[in-house]
Amino acid sequence: MTLQNKTIQRYRLFFPQETLREVSARTGIQITRVFRLFNGKPMKVGELEAFEKVINDKIAENPSFSRLNHIIEEAASLLTNDEIAKIADYLERRVTNKKYSRTYIRPLFDDVSIA
Amino acid sequence: MRGLSSLERVILECIGKQALNYDDVQNQSGLQENVCFNILQALIIRGILKTEGSLYKVSETISPLMMEEINGYEARKAESLELIEAVVDQNSERIFKFSKIAMDSRDEKIFIAMLSNLESFLKDAHVKAQSSVPLKDRKVVFWGMGDVQKLMNQVIVGK
Repeated sequence: MTLQNKTIQRYRLFFPQETLREVSARTGIQITRVFRLFNGKPMKVGELEAFEKVINDKIAENPSFSRLNHIIEEAASLLTNDEIAKIADYLERRVTNKKYSRTYIRPLFDDVSIA
Repeated sequence: MRGLSSLERVILECIGKQALNYDDVQNQSGLQENVCFNILQALIIRGILKTEGSLYKVSETISPLMMEEINGYEARKAESLELIEAVVDQNSERIFKFSKIAMDSRDEKIFIAMLSNLESFLKDAHVKAQSSVPLKDRKVVFWGMGDVQKLMNQVIVGK
């Protein structure tokens, strides 16, 4: 998957219900351009940065996230491979279970409509 | 490792050797509609379930590798921990005891014998009621025991 697709998918995980108009308002990218990007047009660096900035701002709203990041870095240097695998499994299960409780989201946004 | 989450296992156990429609799976599992639907789709994508018309069945062609992933020791362990954690985190009607008990060897033997009695009681109770009690109404029961020192060492080593 390209970096562009990954970024759009991450964006959709954080803002699953947003209309194109709302995406446009949040990222500062024109609505017609957002429509094109969601339909696979290549992104410019500035547009990728705009999406990344919104995602990072959203993540920063959660104070536990920097703790998690910090401890993951420390774990990577201190714990054994088995211990890290256990933590990764645990997180993966939590994430999978959480995803099940969300409304089904199409991985590719082929049916987005202009709001 | 992916294994099965406790939610996925509940769906699989509901279906078992039968062919069930969506409503039956949802009624027996007690899961919310969207959760139930999402899990069914995920299990189909993984090749664990298949559909026959409107019925869901466990696939007969699951590879040994996938079988190990589903039923292997690591998968069962992770799933047990998931449910034990849920019991510990329960807000209402919580039954959970955790203590460090001083026990001489005689009492330890008595306790182990009592656990054995408990196990046969539960086995009988399950056989008696399994046909009438749907999966969602069953109880999660667990017990265990360990030596404090050994367990502490294990915590330090990280195994």
